[in-house]
Amino acid sequence: MGSPVSNRAGSRGDFLVNFRAPWNWTGKSRKNNSRQLVCQGQELPQPDAFVPLEMLSSSQSYIGQILQPTYNPEFLSHSSYADSFDEEPPLLEELGINFDHIWQKTLTVLNPIKPADGSIMNETDLTGPMVFCLALGATLLLAGKVHFGYVYGISAVGCLGIHALLNLMSIAGVSYGCVASVLGYCLLPMVVLSSCAVFFSLQGILGTSLALIIIGWCSLSASKIFISALAMEGQQLLVAYPCALLYGLFALLTVF
Amino acid sequence: MNPDGGAASKRRLPAASMASPHQLFDDTSAGALGRGYAAQQPPAAGSFLAEPVSSFAVAYGTTLASQGKEIVDRNIDRFIPVTKLKYYFAVDTVYVGRKLGLLLFPFMHQDWQVRYQQDTPVAPRFDINAPDLYIPVMAFITYILVAGLALGTQNRFSPDILGLQASSALAWLIVEVLATLLSLYLVTVNTDLTTIDLVAFSGYKYVGMIVGIVSGLLFGKTGYYLLLSWCCLSIFVFMIRTLRLKILSEAAAEGVLVRGAKNQLRMYLTMAIAALQPLFMYWLTFHLVR
Repeated sequence: MGSPVSNRAGSRGDFLVNFRAPWNWTGKSRKNNSRQLVCQGQELPQPDAFVPLEMLSSSQSYIGQILQPTYNPEFLSHSSYADSFDEEPPLLEELGINFDHIWQKTLTVLNPIKPADGSIMNETDLTGPMVFCLALGATLLLAGKVHFGYVYGISAVGCLGIHALLNLMSIAGVSYGCVASVLGYCLLPMVVLSSCAVFFSLQGILGTSLALIIIGWCSLSASKIFISALAMEGQQLLVAYPCALLYGLFALLTVF
Repeated sequence: MNPDGGAASKRRLPAASMASPHQLFDDTSAGALGRGYAAQQPPAAGSFLAEPVSSFAVAYGTTLASQGKEIVDRNIDRFIPVTKLKYYFAVDTVYVGRKLGLLLFPFMHQDWQVRYQQDTPVAPRFDINAPDLYIPVMAFITYILVAGLALGTQNRFSPDILGLQASSALAWLIVEVLATLLSLYLVTVNTDLTTIDLVAFSGYKYVGMIVGIVSGLLFGKTGYYLLLSWCCLSIFVFMIRTLRLKILSEAAAEGVLVRGAKNQLRMYLTMAIAALQPLFMYWLTFHLVR
């Protein structure tokens, strides 16, 4: 197949190969690299110039601006995935979707009485919330209501409002992503409600009481997670009330 | 072929001999791949970051983003005094419960003076007489939602109506606060009432409005009128007792009648502000209850 590198119009690929190659390989391969440079006969920087550049690229990459914000040591335990995916990192790992974390957070939401761990919200994970929003839209669709726009609009405005309120009420600030993530996770019981709406109409005593219970469940979980993440004491009901208003809007969408 | 595609294909190549001069990379990493997996992962995705120009661009981008955030924060701070607002939201559940009780039954409360701590008023958490913004904001939003609910039960609901209700209530609130500010200015009162305090006091009437609408939904017109008049009376007394301490001079506030045009004017002003509340309460709710 010849050397695809030398046939390529730009020499960018060479830079990539040669810059990336010494990054995690042993010093032995670095010497081979310099041999390759000579063989290809192109004008490339000296081998010792690689060292500072590779340090720069490695430190830049470790900051994780492309991937999840924090370098999670749990990723190391997933190295066995590499073998089952033809020796390339799994797509989920690259995207930063960690199913174990998603499952843990979902369990925290589903059990509103158990006190939450304050550190679970350290990583802003928006895949779970996106899945739940889409599930809500899908179950609404099954009931004959095309309300995707309303769902997204209400969640965006609600996240903004709760973000502003929590920043004013708590001593430590909270980021928008964290608020969106928590509110999205606590939308799960609302998906349950809207799937009930597919089978029987909720406009009645039973439907109203079910909706009220689900709203209470959602807002209690959300306020529990916010309280533990932001260390606000004596304010759980105060945080639960605006969340209840927000989920009440979703319930209005579902019921009517 | 883009560089990333090239990189992926290079990883998939089986262990080839190292002798070929055209080979792009050494395959010694077959074992190192699993070991150094986590280490390899970032450069795999960020291989284009390895170019010197790209790294500078990334660094510039991050500083630009943080600078942008700083500019936004500074400008927000200019228009909305965030630290001052934080004082009004320093509440807890006990305070909110007691304040709601006070708003609906202010007749037994004796001491209406706000406690001070070295010239600054104490946070609402520690003093029930201090005004807060949590209750007015929540009451406003709840009022809009309850109005939507009331209209929904009468089959007059559409999402635009919610927006209409919200904007009209907000407009009346702004008009009321501006009128109060203007009259306070005209009467030349020396008071420490800030604009945010006035917004807070004007927002307390939404609690009574919500009670009225809910009772109207549950018990019909009689329930609505009954509870609304009770809430009007409560808010009237509440406003008079709270504003008396702020607007009137010290002597008149303690109950001693002081003759003089100034104090009479201030008393009339206080009563006018307090009388506005029931008026607005009725005006903003009567069309919701049929």
